[in-house]
Amino acid sequence: MALNRLQFEFAPAKPRSLPVPMVHYGVVGSGDMEVMLEAKALGGKATIEVVTPVNGFDHVWQLVLQRFIDESQLADVAISINDNNATPAVVSLRLHQALLEMEG
Amino acid sequence: MSKWQTLQQQSFLDLNARQRALGLVDESSFTELAGPSERLVSPHLPELGEAVEFDDGVVTGVGLLGKHPAIVISQEGRFIGGAVGEVGGAKMVGALRLAQLIFEQLQKKSPAEAETRRPIAVISFETGGVRLHEANAGLLAHAEIMDQLQNMRGKLPVVAIIGSKVGCFGGMGFIAAAMDVVVMSEYGRLGLTGPEVIEQEMGRAQFDSSDRALVFRTTGGKHKYIMRDCNFLVEDTIAAFRRQVQEIAGMPMSEIEMLRRIGSREKVERQMRLVDFAARLSPKDSIDMWKALGNDDPKQILGANFSEFMAIAKRLSPTA
Repeated sequence: MALNRLQFEFAPAKPRSLPVPMVHYGVVGSGDMEVMLEAKALGGKATIEVVTPVNGFDHVWQLVLQRFIDESQLADVAISINDNNATPAVVSLRLHQALLEMEG
Repeated sequence: MSKWQTLQQQSFLDLNARQRALGLVDESSFTELAGPSERLVSPHLPELGEAVEFDDGVVTGVGLLGKHPAIVISQEGRFIGGAVGEVGGAKMVGALRLAQLIFEQLQKKSPAEAETRRPIAVISFETGGVRLHEANAGLLAHAEIMDQLQNMRGKLPVVAIIGSKVGCFGGMGFIAAAMDVVVMSEYGRLGLTGPEVIEQEMGRAQFDSSDRALVFRTTGGKHKYIMRDCNFLVEDTIAAFRRQVQEIAGMPMSEIEMLRRIGSREKVERQMRLVDFAARLSPKDSIDMWKALGNDDPKQILGANFSEFMAIAKRLSPTA
């Protein structure tokens, strides 16, 4: 019954740190999620914590998040996601929108 | 164009809680308090396996409207329908207490400055009231907000803003009614019992909640403006809402007291006369009430855009 808390760690090849202390994007609507990116000294690593009611999709999360880190190369960042049944496509979209929010 | 400037002409209806909070005050003046990085999530939802949000569905912060500090509370309808739980409710109460504290400190420093720079508190509603998953804590929050509204009465204006998708219903409908001023767009909806609950309790023949036109002409901004449950009707842009709140911030408290719909013997007597009038009229639809108030062509009211409506609508007399 309780929420699932999934933790991931990535080590991007060409680490790029967050230009701002914190970025927040999204609303935890039905089929949606919010993401918060916080700059944190992690020795070039990126950590991602996902809090979700969904069971049994840890491997899909791993793939979607790995691709986001591969594309963005974000490092020294703690990423927190509150999910409410978002599909992988929505997860990917929201993560990229958070990046745009950070740049714009 | 800055984010704030882009927001200004956007439809208020479409904006999320954080965008509304940012856009309702002057450019670059908004500071969020108890924001997402504080991680003030509900302690109850995880126990039920329900998703949480870092702000628990309520954005609180402070900004400026000209010279006036503006304390803004903004509810997020897409998170559990904007329902108020323990944490979000406590954030609302805390923000209102902060508004009072700012006023009292200004007054201590200089009574003249407390007048010219008098703070204003704004709640942008998007909610059905209590969050049933944490009902006792949610109800307690409603009670604390009611208490706090009394503490602030006559000191600084508290303004209800209603123009978001979910509308303002349930316990929060009571809160809005108890505030000094109500500002709506025609897409805002205000009521105590929400349309679905009326249908559930009274039957579909009595009230069909899937009939959008019926729901809007019963609970929507135009009807509430005609009936004076809403003081100011504005266009569906964040700029229009912000300008209206700014105007209210500059009004003397005596004028703001007159905008209240309840809260004194005279006002309650007026409400009772309206109940009596409605009972005698026994309207089948809000259209019957509009006709009784001198709106001979209700279809015109229904179809009118904002400026047409403002030009033709005949409202309940303020002294009726």
